[in-house]
Amino acid sequence: MKKRNRAGLFFLLPGVVWVLCFTLFPLLYSLGLSFTDKRIGRRPRPVQFIGFENYADIFSDNRVSEVLEMTVFIVLGSVLLTVVLGILVAWLFNHDIPGLRVFRAILTLPIFAAPIALGQLGMILFNEQSGPVNQMLRAIGAGTVYWITDPWSARFAVLIVDVWQWTPFVFIIVLAAMQSIPDELYEAARLDTSSAWTLFRKVTFPLILPAIGTVTMLRLVETFKILDIPYTLTGGGPGVSTQTYSYYIYLTGLRHFDMGYASALAYLLVVVAIIVSSIFFWRVRERYEVQ
Amino acid sequence: MRKLIVLLIVIALLLPAGNSLVSAQGGPFDGKTPEELFPNAIDDQERQSAWEALMAANLPDARDRFSGQKLTIGVLASGTRGVISGAPYFWREAFEAVTGAELEIIEIPFDQMLTTLTVDFSTNQNTYDAIINASWFYGDYISNEWIIPIDDYINAEGYPKWEPDKVAAPLRQLLQWEGKWYGVVNDGDTQMFYYRRDILEDPQWQAAYEEEMGEPMVVPPRTWQQVYKIAKFFNGKDWNGDGDPDDGISLHLKVGGQGFFHFMSLSAPFAITPAEGDDPTKVTKYDNIYWFDPDDMTPVINSPGHVKALEFLKELAATGSQSQFGWDLGEAWNNFLTGNAVLLFSWGDVGSLAQDPNSSTIKGKLGGAPIPCSEVWYDRELGQFVEDPENPNCVSNLVGASWHGVISSRSDNPDLAYYFLAMQATPPILFWNVVYGWTGVDPSSTTHLFPPAGEATVEDYVNAGYDAGDVQSYITAYGQNLFDFPTTQTYLRIPGTPEYWNILDMRLAQAMVGELSPQEALDQVAEEWEEITDDIGRDYLLEIYQASIGYTPAE
Repeated sequence: MKKRNRAGLFFLLPGVVWVLCFTLFPLLYSLGLSFTDKRIGRRPRPVQFIGFENYADIFSDNRVSEVLEMTVFIVLGSVLLTVVLGILVAWLFNHDIPGLRVFRAILTLPIFAAPIALGQLGMILFNEQSGPVNQMLRAIGAGTVYWITDPWSARFAVLIVDVWQWTPFVFIIVLAAMQSIPDELYEAARLDTSSAWTLFRKVTFPLILPAIGTVTMLRLVETFKILDIPYTLTGGGPGVSTQTYSYYIYLTGLRHFDMGYASALAYLLVVVAIIVSSIFFWRVRERYEVQ
Repeated sequence: MRKLIVLLIVIALLLPAGNSLVSAQGGPFDGKTPEELFPNAIDDQERQSAWEALMAANLPDARDRFSGQKLTIGVLASGTRGVISGAPYFWREAFEAVTGAELEIIEIPFDQMLTTLTVDFSTNQNTYDAIINASWFYGDYISNEWIIPIDDYINAEGYPKWEPDKVAAPLRQLLQWEGKWYGVVNDGDTQMFYYRRDILEDPQWQAAYEEEMGEPMVVPPRTWQQVYKIAKFFNGKDWNGDGDPDDGISLHLKVGGQGFFHFMSLSAPFAITPAEGDDPTKVTKYDNIYWFDPDDMTPVINSPGHVKALEFLKELAATGSQSQFGWDLGEAWNNFLTGNAVLLFSWGDVGSLAQDPNSSTIKGKLGGAPIPCSEVWYDRELGQFVEDPENPNCVSNLVGASWHGVISSRSDNPDLAYYFLAMQATPPILFWNVVYGWTGVDPSSTTHLFPPAGEATVEDYVNAGYDAGDVQSYITAYGQNLFDFPTTQTYLRIPGTPEYWNILDMRLAQAMVGELSPQEALDQVAEEWEEITDDIGRDYLLEIYQASIGYTPAE
């Protein structure tokens, strides 16, 4: 028995070391940094402990209010669109369609692409003069949309690329949940109604709700962190209109090298993400348990 | 005695044999073909001319000192035949042959350069032996002691010889700090003005302009106000005959796309006044000041002159494509080089890129002129604008990176690093880099410019494939930009410069797309600059700033 325990510990060790080195240490180190005025690059000077000063500064930083607009837009827009579209596509693919597997494989491709590559691809697609999106729009007489140089169009361009990448993720999870619903339930329900919408609303949706809850929470957390797509697609512009909160953390830490303040900004994001996801979980669990 | 004589005779006989044994090892390029030394050359002409430059450089054989060593350099990322990174790749095999060392080239994207280098030095990774660096990094490099002076190397034996005295005087200061040399010359930057010679000098277009604008077209335009009128006239007209409306000017205004440099050169004559008296370059509290008040580091970037210039830039931008708000440098150049814009102001690269049929359709149609002056400017001492179209305010610039090599203080191979940088700076190789525009190495020395300031000839450039009319116009203007102006905008080299400029870049972009008014944008810049100044240390910066611009406070 003792030998088996030792072997268990041995197998556990790499995981423990990994978590300690690459999760716990950076987490605690950056927490410590957030209470200091640590900078790199500038004239060397001793690092000072400044308590909650960095955290207090966040609330009077007008750059934070600038980037919050885009952050709220992308979080709400992307989560809503990816979840709705993901459910819709999953529902379509939950039927017998010829070539279903091929379509499903093709549909999931964007999820395997690096966001940075998708941002670059977005640059080509949304090129205002020669991009295929504007060429199609011009062909149907819609005129030129300034995807990169108009602030709101640029925000929508970022949103579209993000939705394009993450809708398949929602689709896969929701489709798996739909396919786990026993056929007997549908057969029984069909005795009462033949309406596909009613079947979805009364049978499918309640049963996939836990999966939707999980995927929505994951999308919420993921979208709060969005940086790579606006970084490559628009460079945060025009002006600062597509800079997100994470983008601002990056600029603060790795462009202005204010490591203390950047850490505080990052920790605030962690706290907000935890609160939002907790509220969401609590609401979903409450509803699920009542049901 | 006899034995001694015999011994001496034997030694005397063996010496030549020994010498011939050494020479049997051969020179560093013996047995090497131009194809082996220049695998990145695209044709025989380029390969042969590079071979001739290499032979003329007379590089000392350094294999006995450096064989087996490895040199790592950091350079702007733009590929094996791209601007600034192209030259190190091109000459790599020749360097490895003459030193026996290995050259590793690490490319760093422009907008990642500050981050990459600062993190590398700060965390003691010390990846790079040398960096082909931008001049605005000096303040941070020196204050952190990240680079070393090279005075002891310059005249040392065993290294390639370059000519510090022939570096164009205005650019020389960018390679030095407090009288010591830190940089080895490479690229020289100043922003000048370009126009389509074939269009602006066409009598039909000139007549049409006069009819529409009510005055003759000034070619080349001397002031920004004249530039605006010409750009406005041509914008939206199909002057290139492709069936689509074309642009007046080509700008680039994306954050991180280097557009803020163009604001600097444009705004200089709106915001800077030359000193009165014999020396217009003298820096006083009010004259030749662009960045900060030299007495207390209060930003002057939001002065009425700067604000007026930004308002003007917005008006000028309206005479070009709407898409330019999302363009970076290359896209704006491309728009001009492919014949879709009639005017552009930028660095010397455009003059040489225009000669490359792979990137340009305007060879033989290019005109160059010094950076325009302004008919209206703000006098900070008087506290009012001055308007004088007959005697406009003219201020030149050294805006840009002037990419050049520096040696890391943490390098294990500083001698090898210097050898490499000096090799790039030898007159024949540097001139080769200058005339082949794809290298992005712009004229930096008098040997690249025409008389009276320089020593080059039109033929030197024509032999490398330039159109005679283009190069006459372009290099003449480049030389005028460096030497003929009454004064030059001071270069910001204090610690924190990249941070100051990042903020300027971002707020300018906000103003250009209408998120902020010009006044609001520049006020924000000033406010955020104050925070940086306070954080780094106002008194510490003030001393460096005063020294860097040559200001002596009044008693």
